[in-house]
Amino acid sequence: MSTQIIEPIDAAGAAAALGEANSAGMSVVVGGSGTKFTPPPSDVLISTAKMTHGLDHVAGDLVATLPAGAPLDAVNELLRRERQWLPLDPPRSHRATIGGVIATNDSGPRRHRFGAPRDLIIGIEIALADGRIAKAGGRVVKNVAGYDLSKLMCGSLGTLAVITRATFKLSPVAPFSQTLIATGSDLRRLSTLALTLANTPPISPTAIELQSLPHRLLVRFETTEGAAATQTIIAAKLCEQFGATTHVVTGPGEVDAWRAHEGRVFGMAGTVLKITVLPTDVAEIVSTVDRLTSTAGVECAVSGRVALGIVLVRLAGDPAAYTPIVSEIRRAAIAGGGSAVVVSSATDGAITPSDRWGPIGDAKPVMRAVKARFDPHHILNATLAPWD
Amino acid sequence: MDPAFLTELAQCVGTDGVLLDASDLLTYESDALVHLRSTPGAVVLPTSAAEVQAVVRLCRRAGVPFVARGNGTGLSGGALPIENGVLITLSRMNHILEVDIPNLRAVVEPGVTNLAITQRVAPFGCYYAPDPSSQVVCSIGGNIAENSGGAHCLKYGFTVHHVLGVEAVLPDGERVHFGCAVLDAPGLDLLGVLVGSEGTLAVVTKATVRLLRRAEKVMLLLAGFPTIDAAGEAVSSIIAGGIVPAAVEMMDRLTIEAAEAAVHPNFPKTDAVLIVELDGPASEVDELFAVVEGICRQCGATTIEIAHDQSQRDRIWKGRKAAFAAMGRVSPNYYVQDGVVPRTKLPEVLRRIRDLEARSGLRIGNVFHAGDGNLHPLICYDEAIAGQAEHAEKVAAEILTYCVEAGGAITGEHGVGVDKKGYMPKMFAADDLDAMQLVRCAFDPTGICNPGKVFPTPRLCGEVPGPYREHPVERAGLAERF
Repeated sequence: MSTQIIEPIDAAGAAAALGEANSAGMSVVVGGSGTKFTPPPSDVLISTAKMTHGLDHVAGDLVATLPAGAPLDAVNELLRRERQWLPLDPPRSHRATIGGVIATNDSGPRRHRFGAPRDLIIGIEIALADGRIAKAGGRVVKNVAGYDLSKLMCGSLGTLAVITRATFKLSPVAPFSQTLIATGSDLRRLSTLALTLANTPPISPTAIELQSLPHRLLVRFETTEGAAATQTIIAAKLCEQFGATTHVVTGPGEVDAWRAHEGRVFGMAGTVLKITVLPTDVAEIVSTVDRLTSTAGVECAVSGRVALGIVLVRLAGDPAAYTPIVSEIRRAAIAGGGSAVVVSSATDGAITPSDRWGPIGDAKPVMRAVKARFDPHHILNATLAPWD
Repeated sequence: MDPAFLTELAQCVGTDGVLLDASDLLTYESDALVHLRSTPGAVVLPTSAAEVQAVVRLCRRAGVPFVARGNGTGLSGGALPIENGVLITLSRMNHILEVDIPNLRAVVEPGVTNLAITQRVAPFGCYYAPDPSSQVVCSIGGNIAENSGGAHCLKYGFTVHHVLGVEAVLPDGERVHFGCAVLDAPGLDLLGVLVGSEGTLAVVTKATVRLLRRAEKVMLLLAGFPTIDAAGEAVSSIIAGGIVPAAVEMMDRLTIEAAEAAVHPNFPKTDAVLIVELDGPASEVDELFAVVEGICRQCGATTIEIAHDQSQRDRIWKGRKAAFAAMGRVSPNYYVQDGVVPRTKLPEVLRRIRDLEARSGLRIGNVFHAGDGNLHPLICYDEAIAGQAEHAEKVAAEILTYCVEAGGAITGEHGVGVDKKGYMPKMFAADDLDAMQLVRCAFDPTGICNPGKVFPTPRLCGEVPGPYREHPVERAGLAERF
């Protein structure tokens, strides 16, 4: 099947392409830079690659309107000129586009402080399946007029509309940053330490990440130099009480440490699973992953946003060897009220939506109804989501 | 109402859970926007989600519209009853069901008051962050409907950032869950759109909320400025300096005078005061507070008072929070407006409001959340003077036009409800409103859940299965078919 590739430069172009495909009953896949998954086959591919114009940064308002196709790092480079940034640090941020980050509600370690896209987005412009353009929210941080469709678009995987532009609240860039690295021998103790660090008020990090192997915690402080120093000393003392050894990295060393941390899960081949549980259950689920993978002899890397209850696991090697493990991990997560979602799969084209997501709860009929209203002919990213 | 329907209603909630007497219904005729009144056919006071579900199922079957109500503190008529409809009052569902300090979560029923959560978890050094000024009485269910904020939302966000999951009864009577106690529940983020939907999508029967640890240190200053512009300049410089205060509030001369007359907060007698609060780790707050103080002086502050303890902070906040009620001291009546402008447009919009004041002959006080550009102009009038109430309403409407023209919003926290639905087209195009309507139709295809709110001309959703029957909402002239 040959796919027609359309690269609109703005909402009007996207809406026109979508409206035409809709009338013709052609399937449409919306693609950014492809950092999340390989686009499944379709009649039409609407790429946001050329939607990169019209960035509007109002530093005095601490907000910016961003085109869907702009890569996150490029955006932040511009915003940094005014000592501000869109505080999101998802994997592959040099390529990940604004539209893709919204569509997957993707974030990174600093979600600990700043939240996910749905917490930062304040307005959106979308092209609808029927060829119309709609917007919701606005350009002010405080606004309760109308339904907040911008949050609905976050994590919707492009199944409801094509995101063409969005407005976000920004954060000031902190004057100073340093990271305390605590190395321990026991994952459980490190998990407990991470929660203790998160719950001890003078300590106010922007990220607390668990990693294994080696068993380490990365605790980032971004504030004034004096405040970072004070908090680092208090945090280091706590780490020692938990039997962990510590060292501090700053400058290029700090950048390298975080890049390596991301690379352990996202920089290599394999399947990445995102597990969400209660923060107090992180230690248990990490131990479960450890036990299952070592028993099966599966190569595995773990990183955890402990205080948020998020654990990322990369499983490598033969998919046949680790697929049963994914199911077992999912069962354990669900038993604790959580979930386990495959965020990137080594067998990208073959994985079904239900294998990717697992159960999506009793609101599924409402999700399906929302999808049917936005995209009655089911043309948009139709093979991606279990609510289709 | 149909006696058979009322009998069934009593079976859903018990006879002591239904109010039918005219005198009982009077209490529920309006929310805090008291000039809009409407008498419901019946009020029910369920005590469980199962009872809510039974009532909604019955309404659905009988085609009777319903409205959910918390404690009635809403300021836009969002909980205004429908004539001959059912008002579901959730005040009896007021239990804190679970507190989980290690995970910083609480599970509450919708009738629990905002402040009750903070009071319950305070002994553990925790609190619930959104703090609307009505927090002593307003309910969490109402907060979820309105996406309530408060003075500290500049730094800490709104209800939508602090509710992790809800259990809700859909307009078809199904009980489902949006979000959950852990982050990132798989599927569409319907919770993100449900919060702030003003009770038009479902009835929330339980919520899991996020708790925060109290900051190590809080510091607050009160600065007097010779002009509003100078105070505005200070706010811009603080933000440009990379500081995100916990709160930044501004009051003008008229509201300062009113507050002074009412609660004597001992505010300076200047054209503007600024209240700036910083919180966080002591080491950070100490350092940044000195910067804020320096900025205020540079921008021409004539007085600066630094609160050294909780009682001083309470006194200053009392002065700010009393501003609305205190207007009664300087004017027989007043109209509270709620609009938002981009922070950088504050001076321009305030100048327009001053011109309007001169032109209209009505005094306008200004008290606002300066950090996020949320204005609360208070338009003074005397209803004893013929036509002045209507004049005040027109003046209030014109201010909203200024907000929209400046790129802002018609409401920052009070909601659209009935009061502002006519202004929605000022801010949104027909296609925008239609896109929102898609969500409404997915949740409530028969249009019985709080109809007639939020949207200027609420529309029915078309393909309701079965033969066409005139919908009660249509018959009442409240909606047209979509």
